Amino acid sequence: MIESVLRATLLGLQLGMTLALIAAGLTLIFGMLDVINFAHGALYMLGAYFGTVVAGQLGSFWLALVLAPLMVGLVGAAIEIFSLRPLYDRNPLYHILLTFGVAIMIQGAIIEIWGAQSMQIPVPDLLSGSVSVGPVNYPVYWLFVLAVSTLLIAVVWLAIERSDLGILMRASAHDTEMVSALGIDVSKVFTGVFVFGAVLAGVAGVLLGGSRSVHPGMGFGIIIETFIVVVIGGLGSFRGAVYAALLIGLVTAYGALIAPTLTDLFLFAMMAIVLMAKPSGLFGATEAA
Amino acid sequence: MKSVVELFGRSQSSQTGDQLLSSRGRLAVLVAVGALALFAPIADAYEPFWLNMLVRMMIFALLALSLDFVFGYAGLLSFGHAAMFGAGGYAAAMLISEVTANALVVLPAAMVVGAVVAGIIGWFSVRARGIYFAMLTLAFAQLFYVMAFTDLPATILGVESFTGGDNGLYGIQRYALFGVDFTPTLVYFYLTLAAVALSFVALLRLSNSPFGRVLQGIRENEERVQFLGYDVRRYKVLGFALSGAFAGLAGGLYVPFQSVSHPGLLHWMISGELVVMLLLGGLGTLWGPMLGAALVVFLEEQLAGFASWEIVLGGIFVVVVIFAPRGLAGAIISVRDDPTNVATNAKRAIRNYIDKVRR
Repeated sequence: MIESVLRATLLGLQLGMTLALIAAGLTLIFGMLDVINFAHGALYMLGAYFGTVVAGQLGSFWLALVLAPLMVGLVGAAIEIFSLRPLYDRNPLYHILLTFGVAIMIQGAIIEIWGAQSMQIPVPDLLSGSVSVGPVNYPVYWLFVLAVSTLLIAVVWLAIERSDLGILMRASAHDTEMVSALGIDVSKVFTGVFVFGAVLAGVAGVLLGGSRSVHPGMGFGIIIETFIVVVIGGLGSFRGAVYAALLIGLVTAYGALIAPTLTDLFLFAMMAIVLMAKPSGLFGATEAA
Repeated sequence: MKSVVELFGRSQSSQTGDQLLSSRGRLAVLVAVGALALFAPIADAYEPFWLNMLVRMMIFALLALSLDFVFGYAGLLSFGHAAMFGAGGYAAAMLISEVTANALVVLPAAMVVGAVVAGIIGWFSVRARGIYFAMLTLAFAQLFYVMAFTDLPATILGVESFTGGDNGLYGIQRYALFGVDFTPTLVYFYLTLAAVALSFVALLRLSNSPFGRVLQGIRENEERVQFLGYDVRRYKVLGFALSGAFAGLAGGLYVPFQSVSHPGLLHWMISGELVVMLLLGGLGTLWGPMLGAALVVFLEEQLAGFASWEIVLGGIFVVVVIFAPRGLAGAIISVRDDPTNVATNAKRAIRNYIDKVRR
């Protein structure tokens, strides 16, 4: 009993932190650009596929963990500059439709290039095998994923709260016109934020690509889960996204113990209840970034 | 003169389906229905596959029409219309296999089920506005999806199977009415055409009735409508339920045609595609979304053999969003009003795009 609870807790935390990586980008992009990025799941998926390529060609998981997210960042830059930039003065609805189209294109491109069968990123020997955590025998790789994603989230959090760049980001989200009047090129900040979100999603893609299967359906599979996180946490709130991601991760993991078939039902019900009680989410939209 | 270009700055298109009420508009609708009715036997004789596709085009056109009634007219973006589509489909499947295949019983029942599901989703969702409304409809629709997928009703009712879980319900036969068997695709085609045409007339009437004007008013300025003494929430729920009835009808037509009802009908991907159909066709025109739906069904069908069809389809969405925000309907109206300047307008749109990217 204790064993399975401990195992579920570890699993839930790991799931939560990786979800937080994806949700952080989604919520930052919404907070600053006012864009609901439906292509975010596709960017996560691209991270996983680029990871398989780099790991396969160069034979190094570590290089994949660094290079693949940067490649995703490049794709993100192209998406922002060539398709979102002309649309900022339009109804946000068009952003949803545009990114939906982009997501379909990326999915099609992936099927075209890599086919529909599922793959996996080979994990280095150092991270394979399992280790005992108290009474539980737990895979080393999963602990590694938990550690890396927690570390990254902590660094991003600090950067947003403390660094000059973070302050600039929050200021641009709060009052774009004012920041622009101070002589700062806001459109570069926008591109930067989108790329940053894409890179985080790419990291999550490589990390999960080592433990789950990499397949063309994973992008649309994760996007709704990420939406639930972002909505519960509060659209635009970074803090909210992290807390909500942990909550969803743990609920999913414990749910699998108690009633596996009802977990999804529970997640959607949670989202609906939060939206009705407090549409701006648990951590409100007043807190920028 | 309206052009595709000048809409770059405009955030919300406020075109309506009014052009259909003119005598020219009515003629166009009659010609379209007549052409479809005449074309069907030819297609049936030479290429039955085309007839099959036409039926699916019309059903999705009806579904898009139902969404345009709430989204284009009332400004309520529903990301959960698949739930009503699926609910109508499941209702039809159960009635046909358990009770009767009489179209005059089953189709109205599918509409009622669609309206009830929409009423439930709408009643909860109108508490929020804008994007939060959309997210709520998505959450509730996915709840219905998960219920169908896990066959939760069977567990609650203590029966062996209700929705059939992830397999769904299959072997659903087609309708019969007054001794006419609708099993041949050509006969089913005429049933669908009649249902879609009647729904179209009904929704067009509703859109231009006082009720429809209030919905339009809510889209343009919700507070003002409220100050005029209208119960905005009630109008929204009612509009949503009415729309759901027609989505349910679409489901009731689709399931016997495909002979299977499965949870995929309720999945959010269908809702998402539906929104794309609306945008592609032209929001708020009623006829535009129907064209958009037909085009998407056609493209998916024609590009399916082609390995990278998703790239093409996604690319079309992207190009339409950027260059033709009013969709096919907007482009058609613009070309009709101003046929000489099409090339200049297109050039201006591209120049405008380049300027914005360089910014």
